[in-house]
Amino acid sequence: MPAVSWLHPSFQLHLGDDTLHAAKLLAEAATLAESLPPRQRVGLAGADVRSLLRALLACEQRQCDLFVIRDATADPVAVHGLSSRIVGDSVETQSGLATQGAGLVWLQTSGSTGTPKWVPHRLDALKGLIAPGEGGRARWGLTYHPASFAGLQVILSAALGGHILAAAPGAPGILDLAALAIQHQITHLSATPTFWRSFLIALPAHATLPLQAATLGGEIADQAVLDAVQRRFPGARCRHIYATTEAGAVFSVGDGKAGFPAAWLASGVGDARLSITEAGTLAISSPRTSVSIGNQFLDTGDCVVAAGDRILFRGRGDTMVNIGGVKVWAEEVEAHLLALPFIRDALVSARPNPVTGHILTAAIVLEEGEDGANRAEAIKAHLQSLPRAMRPASIRPCAALPLGPTGKKLRNQS
Amino acid sequence: MIDLVSEELSRIIAEKGETCPPLDRDTVLLSEGGPIDSLDLAVLVVALEERTGRQPFRSGFRLFRTLGELADLFAEEPT
Repeated sequence: MPAVSWLHPSFQLHLGDDTLHAAKLLAEAATLAESLPPRQRVGLAGADVRSLLRALLACEQRQCDLFVIRDATADPVAVHGLSSRIVGDSVETQSGLATQGAGLVWLQTSGSTGTPKWVPHRLDALKGLIAPGEGGRARWGLTYHPASFAGLQVILSAALGGHILAAAPGAPGILDLAALAIQHQITHLSATPTFWRSFLIALPAHATLPLQAATLGGEIADQAVLDAVQRRFPGARCRHIYATTEAGAVFSVGDGKAGFPAAWLASGVGDARLSITEAGTLAISSPRTSVSIGNQFLDTGDCVVAAGDRILFRGRGDTMVNIGGVKVWAEEVEAHLLALPFIRDALVSARPNPVTGHILTAAIVLEEGEDGANRAEAIKAHLQSLPRAMRPASIRPCAALPLGPTGKKLRNQS
Repeated sequence: MIDLVSEELSRIIAEKGETCPPLDRDTVLLSEGGPIDSLDLAVLVVALEERTGRQPFRSGFRLFRTLGELADLFAEEPT
């Protein structure tokens, strides 16, 4: 066990019914490190907060790369070609594979389908992003997946600051997390705008929370959701964070207004520089970006528009849309619909929604002689194989799809 | 409007194969052990937008918790 660990001795984890103190986690990590060969590439699948903290500490000590795999059923050795995997509190190592670990933490980018990208992070850089806490001991609630960038930020904030972290085991729903927040009287909560909308709806009207810090991140925080959070929790400091998986947390905005000050384009913010590309998307450069990006400007693909002294976010340059925290590409859903022989053309658009931020709707053109009413059930059945967030909430047959001046489908008309 | 919201909500619950509890103004839409989750609630809002031609959330989020509160937002919105 290292003499000095970044895990604060006062840190406490509530995971379901278990309460774990820092000393216990450090002891578990030390045991794990003993069975870990140095400089390996190690996979951890389906991590909960406890196994993740344990693996982070052990891999740091042994200079191993840690690959945090979201899918609990994935086999790190077979699927990702890693030399070792952590199973429970022990390590299985495959002999004969090259070892090349360097103490990096690899996270998968989120995405509804396709192959997630691996992005390497230096633990020191991640820790450097954690602001020293103000005031007394905080009680954090974890709303993000522990294996996500945002989830790791919350876990490290609590672990480094000696705070209390409450997490629900498994894949908790909004109601589990509302109950968790009430049970542990959470003071600090960081979540997506989508989460906050559902949370405000799910939290009983009479429930009181001593919330001191409300953080919104991962999606566009519009003025309406910022206002709603501030109305429900007038005592909380409300801020929204702009971060990308590739570049990490870039800046945070604490004035209660959507977007960010236009002056930051000239001055930068913190150690990040910002600019707007010719395509109208935000580009960023930060010395603390993930190691594979380095110090170059990175086009985030997030469209921005100037409005007075503010720069506001306007969605994606591509057709990615965030539905209840799940990234979805409209074209993929169109392709799925077009696999049906009686559908000639399909246009899937994102419509603003008060619960999930956006939701998909579809307009379809049927083949000659087909009747929409007769085919409705078959279409519905065909959509069942998609993840729920990708299923259009309404499907409207029409004679022709609206086309723009260049002949492209007009995607944002609904 | 209460009837319309109840009708659409019970349809969504039936499509999930769940048993629909008695619905009234005070039914809490997202509740512990309740029949719908936030994605279902999002679908309910779309169904109501299409049935009424009204978009009470055009300018963003407005808080509602019960069936009655959601019905009121749609009833008060001009077509």
